[in-house]
Amino acid sequence: MSVPERSRGVIALIEDSCTSCMLCARECPSWCIHIDSHGVTEVPPEGGRPRTTAVLDRFAIDWSLCMYCGICVEVCPFDALEWAPAHAYAEPAAGALLHERERLADWLVE
Amino acid sequence: MTTDWAERVGAALGAEVLDDFGVARVDIAAAGWLDAVRTAREELGCTFFDWLTGVDELHDGYRLVCHLAVPPVDGARIRTLIIRALVPRDEPAVASVSGVFAGAGWHEREVAEMFGVRFTDGDRSGPGERLLLSADFDGHPLRKDFVLASRVAEPWPGAKEPGESDASLAGQEAEQADAGAPARRSTRRRSRPAGVPEPDEWGPRAPGSPDPDPLAAVTDRRPRRGGSR
Repeated sequence: MSVPERSRGVIALIEDSCTSCMLCARECPSWCIHIDSHGVTEVPPEGGRPRTTAVLDRFAIDWSLCMYCGICVEVCPFDALEWAPAHAYAEPAAGALLHERERLADWLVE
Repeated sequence: MTTDWAERVGAALGAEVLDDFGVARVDIAAAGWLDAVRTAREELGCTFFDWLTGVDELHDGYRLVCHLAVPPVDGARIRTLIIRALVPRDEPAVASVSGVFAGAGWHEREVAEMFGVRFTDGDRSGPGERLLLSADFDGHPLRKDFVLASRVAEPWPGAKEPGESDASLAGQEAEQADAGAPARRSTRRRSRPAGVPEPDEWGPRAPGSPDPDPLAAVTDRRPRRGGSR
């Protein structure tokens, strides 16, 4: 089913762009974004001081709390979140509306 | 832009009309609230009452907002009007407009419960029972100084820094417990969620009490950006 452009159906995660910076989780008024990450310290191949980067372990959005305001999409400095048109993902139990990163990546529209 | 409409509104209500967003809106003194709504209906033809609501403007008081419309005739463009008035925070009361629009009584009851604004002389503003909240509910939940208890009790997902996880924080706590140190998450000051006061600032507070004011915590604070990259 086609929906109008700019419809707020679901928010898709582009994992490769996410730096686990926590900005979306902090700005979310509904507290529905859960992020876990761990730090990896390595020396850059071109040499220099070792650098620590965060590696994403978990990214989940709880659609039973989300109010579809889109602040997370707007605030992401790396464009790792974007609106996707999917909307038919109702569940019989609220707990099943917690979508982990695999499911969020699947919403991505090519 | 419906500038002729804006001019008519200004002349009828005797107030400056703003229509920079395409909807004519006027700000009037709270004492003229009822008269303005009645004039809008009787002189401007705003016979359609759309909604009435409130906004907590913190130290400025509570802003009442009423949206009215002129039903379009013969395919003419619909004309809408927003009337706004500020009522003071310490004595939030305004005359009821339920005598002008009977349906406004429902909206006024909602604003009365959510913001604690009193609507006076409302001969048709409802039976006085709670409309939305349970009878024993204490407080006005859409006031900005109303703290959601679950927000204080629930762990904030944004408290973690990049590179941290629930598991790693739990591990830190366990290590500290093993070392006999008092249980705490980190020596670094944690980020706090916007609009949620520190636990020691929050709690039942009588008006005028010297205890910390939750309102002070919600005016201009953003989450602190703790830590470094």
